[in-house]
Amino acid sequence: MPQVTMAAALNEALRYSMRNDPHVIILGEDVGKLGGVFRITDKLQEEFGEERVLDTPLAESGIVGSAIGMAMYGLRPVCEMQFDGFTYPAFEQIVSHLAKYGFRSRGRMRLPIVVRIPYGGGIGAVEHHSESLEAYFTHTAGLKVVTPSTPSDAFSLLVRSIEDPDPVIFLEPKRRYWIREDVDLKPNGLPIGKAAIRNEGTDVTLITYGPSVRTCQEAVEEAAADGVSIELIDLRTLVPLDLDTIMASVRKTGRAVVVHEAQVTGGFGGEIAARIMEDDFLSLQAPVIRVGGFDIPYPPAKLEDVHLPDLDRVLDAVDKVLNY
Amino acid sequence: MADEVRQFKLPDLGEGLEEAEIVSWLVKEGEEVELNQPLVEVETEKALVQIPSPYAGVVDKLHGDVGERVKVGAPLVSFKTSSDAPEAGKRREVLVGYGPDEGASRRRRRRKIGRAEQGDVEVEPEPEPQPEPEPEPSRSVPAKALATPPVRKLAKELGVDIDGVGGSGKDGRVTREDVVAASEGRGAGQPAAVASVTKLEPVQRRGSTTEGPLEERIPVRSIRRTIAERLVRSYSEIPHVTEWLQLDATELMRLRADLTASPEAEGGKISPLPVLMKALVAALRKHPLINSSWDGERNEIVVKRFYHIGIATDTDRGLLVPVVRDADQLSVFDTAREIARVAGAARDGTITPAELSGSTITITNVGSFGMESGTPIINFPEAAILATGAITKRPWVVGDQIAVRDVMTLALSFDHRIIDGAEAGRFLRYLGDLIEKPARLFGVL
Amino acid sequence: MEGRRGIVDPSSVPTETIQLLKPDGTLVPDTGYEADLKKDDLLEIYRYMALARRADLEGTNLQRQGELGVYTPLIGQEAAQVGTGYALDEGDWIFPSYREMALAMMRKIDPVDILHLFRGTWHGGMWDPKEHRFAMYSVPIATQALHAAGFAIAAKLDGAKTVALGCFGDGATSEGDFHEAMNFAGVWQAPVVFLCQNNQYAISLPLSKQTAAPTIAVKAIGYGFPGVRVDGNDVLACYVVAQEAVRRAREGNGPTLIEAVTFRIGPHSTADDPTRYRTQDEMDHWGALDPISRFSKYLELEGIITDEFKQKVDDEAKELATHIRAEIVGAGPRPAHELFEFVYSEPSDILRREEWLLYEELAGRDEEGD
Repeated sequence: MPQVTMAAALNEALRYSMRNDPHVIILGEDVGKLGGVFRITDKLQEEFGEERVLDTPLAESGIVGSAIGMAMYGLRPVCEMQFDGFTYPAFEQIVSHLAKYGFRSRGRMRLPIVVRIPYGGGIGAVEHHSESLEAYFTHTAGLKVVTPSTPSDAFSLLVRSIEDPDPVIFLEPKRRYWIREDVDLKPNGLPIGKAAIRNEGTDVTLITYGPSVRTCQEAVEEAAADGVSIELIDLRTLVPLDLDTIMASVRKTGRAVVVHEAQVTGGFGGEIAARIMEDDFLSLQAPVIRVGGFDIPYPPAKLEDVHLPDLDRVLDAVDKVLNY
Repeated sequence: MADEVRQFKLPDLGEGLEEAEIVSWLVKEGEEVELNQPLVEVETEKALVQIPSPYAGVVDKLHGDVGERVKVGAPLVSFKTSSDAPEAGKRREVLVGYGPDEGASRRRRRRKIGRAEQGDVEVEPEPEPQPEPEPEPSRSVPAKALATPPVRKLAKELGVDIDGVGGSGKDGRVTREDVVAASEGRGAGQPAAVASVTKLEPVQRRGSTTEGPLEERIPVRSIRRTIAERLVRSYSEIPHVTEWLQLDATELMRLRADLTASPEAEGGKISPLPVLMKALVAALRKHPLINSSWDGERNEIVVKRFYHIGIATDTDRGLLVPVVRDADQLSVFDTAREIARVAGAARDGTITPAELSGSTITITNVGSFGMESGTPIINFPEAAILATGAITKRPWVVGDQIAVRDVMTLALSFDHRIIDGAEAGRFLRYLGDLIEKPARLFGVL
Repeated sequence: MEGRRGIVDPSSVPTETIQLLKPDGTLVPDTGYEADLKKDDLLEIYRYMALARRADLEGTNLQRQGELGVYTPLIGQEAAQVGTGYALDEGDWIFPSYREMALAMMRKIDPVDILHLFRGTWHGGMWDPKEHRFAMYSVPIATQALHAAGFAIAAKLDGAKTVALGCFGDGATSEGDFHEAMNFAGVWQAPVVFLCQNNQYAISLPLSKQTAAPTIAVKAIGYGFPGVRVDGNDVLACYVVAQEAVRRAREGNGPTLIEAVTFRIGPHSTADDPTRYRTQDEMDHWGALDPISRFSKYLELEGIITDEFKQKVDDEAKELATHIRAEIVGAGPRPAHELFEFVYSEPSDILRREEWLLYEELAGRDEEGD
């Protein structure tokens, strides 16, 4: 099996989907000739032409809004937002139309659109290039929200998202674009909405997704050296949420910590904590602790490492639930 | 101006890229290059770029051949350069102590984690569930007990391992009853045993007067840990000496009564502390060395011409030192208000880190819990700390008579590297005079 | 298209470009424009352009040496910025995008304070917008055009004589905010000048794919105010056109859209690779139209500039580069507590708690020495 980066795996997933289904088209800023600012659409215009890989004018609302019209016509558009922080002009189209069309049309007009967004921090970028915006979408009924953490999952989940009849917000952890792993570039049947248990353990359940998975894997190893056994869950999909996997694990360990880069207040971790509390109160030996960024605008690059949840912040939380 | 070898490491050329390929070298080993002269052409996942030299100097070594992939942060070019060229990536002060090196993105672990109340317990993996012919959910003991938080709390207080208690409640829940019963060593539902005493038994102990386990282990965390480390550091790095001075504080007590009665006090009680602080500032102005710190790295004594007075404060979180900034610029009344404000903020947790740092000297008021004096440990890296003792009525010689006076003791611990005993004595005597005759304060403030 | 009555064909719209200086530095005859610039003004304009170019080059170098996270070069666009900026009064406000270092320097902003944004020291820049009448840099495309419009509307409602300059690029004209800014400015006839530096590319997208309009300037017509197209590499033309637009705004005659036709000689940012979408022919063509050498030739032909003066400016530029390098290389981060200080005018209880958490985390780092 070839060693590929997440960026290359996503590129392959797009290529695979476009070869498989002539209705799949790509639109976004700089996606054609340049191949996207992260090269995720590299060489796709060469293979599929300007009719299927559309370099759009610089307008995010235009990209998503026109994709809605294209989907109504019968295409399956895959939109690229250049960076997380530039998604906001498209917010109106995403919230008012993309998410609600199926509902408003009583199921008669589904919109099989994927909106790809590189998100998250840790790359020393300038402002508006490191946002964690997942909670805006998880809070919007009608959208599926997917976020892979490995090249292999990135490939399979993007293929599935493009096949999915509903709109999918596909969040790509940009700080993990260049990690490599062996990937079999064939769909493996992995469905949307299924979490992965990255490590089995008995003492504490650590729940995370996207860019924070790698940090939590380090925490698992460090904790093991101290004789603490952590079960690590990589959600992979935020909506629909894999409650079964979460609850089974919490029933086993009695303790849970949720980790994400986004600020804690109003973050998705709060949703997971509340679900655990509502469904499994009696199993809890400690409150569910959320680990995240501070309630501040994403900080300048020189201070991002004090803001982002790191190994120590995660381990402090693990320690807290162990000694509650 | 000595030549030294500087390593230029491959920078992150943008947005989290991890490596780059060397396409061509534009300089040779031994070649003299100017600042910003292109050194090398590299290709990343995103772009082909030329990297200009960050130094003027002679190329000592090129690390890597054409076609080789170099990781971000790995050496790219070594230079011989004059040592006054600016050095990137110095460590800088952040909030407290030292921040990360430029570019360091991950902290190392600080301490071991795990359950504090147990040793390293081997956790048995859960056994495979065996099919049971007739399950008895109400009496089965699951690996982890099902219980509400109050019941768990009770079990903890009674020293009962809740996971070993059978639950008699709904769905096998462990109830309060079950926990109490387990702590008394009986099964749930059994009546409590009646104790009987026979005459020939050895004298009975009345049973432990403490509740719960007989030994408690308190994990040392966060603030407590920080306090401990700072004290150890101060005590082990600074050669401490303490000098005492007992003095007549009668006039001081009169003065604070007058101050309290004046309208500017706005009904607030003025304690001796703000007056002592103003006297301290006056004495520091006269003896600037006391308001200094030792810079061992540069072999310099840093004398401060500003007066930020730390107040050692007892809080729920442990000992904190909030700071009254620019105490020389405050009236006694404002000093009193500022002390109340920062100490209050320290106690209720609303104080900011900025308000907890930057003191130039510290006062610890051991009198506030009735102590006469003590040997305070210097608040690192200051040069001195002043302990103010309780003010109590004592017999005192006035002229040739014995009178009842308000007496207090000052103790000054100081950094003997900076301050000689005689200098400390002069300082303390001067401060004592100001306190004994506070009218003199008007002359010097 | 049939030329039926009442149907306007876009190709009938005038697309002339105002030019005063030919690429060889000689004056275009009979333009009807005259720049009212004295010798000192001309030399000052030269100086601004030269200093901006040197500061800009240092920005690129520092990024390549790992001292900046990213940098957006302005090389090639000096005339558009300096010519326009020179037509403003001290009290007028400028609303920049993220490539306006020359305009910032004209407002006495130290380039170091701009580079600190790219170093990741602080967002937006380190200058005081009120002191320099220069808003924070704005990275989301076209958003600042609305700020310029709103500022100008407020000035008008207040009866003040202040003019706002809103800067953006060709790509920005596709965003909804551009349309809204133009429309608001038009409805209120606000004292605002919109400067579109059309540098031919929005990252990789050429203007021909950005819009089907014959020019950007013509878009103004649809909002009810004039648009004008100017040679953006001709600093004199940029100046006279801006001067007229500023005068119109100050006298209450409403907005103007200026399209300065120029070229982004460098990449969109240091993270971009323009060789993927631009040809060498194109680079050569625009290289010959360089705004600084054109103006320099003009000053030589007119006998206005001396070698001495050029040397003096060159020395000043070197000094500036040394200053920038000294301030940026190895500069440490801001104190971490500032992260909590500026979120609200007063930090919330939760923010205070988080500040404590960070304080404890950092205190724990003390013994590490990592």
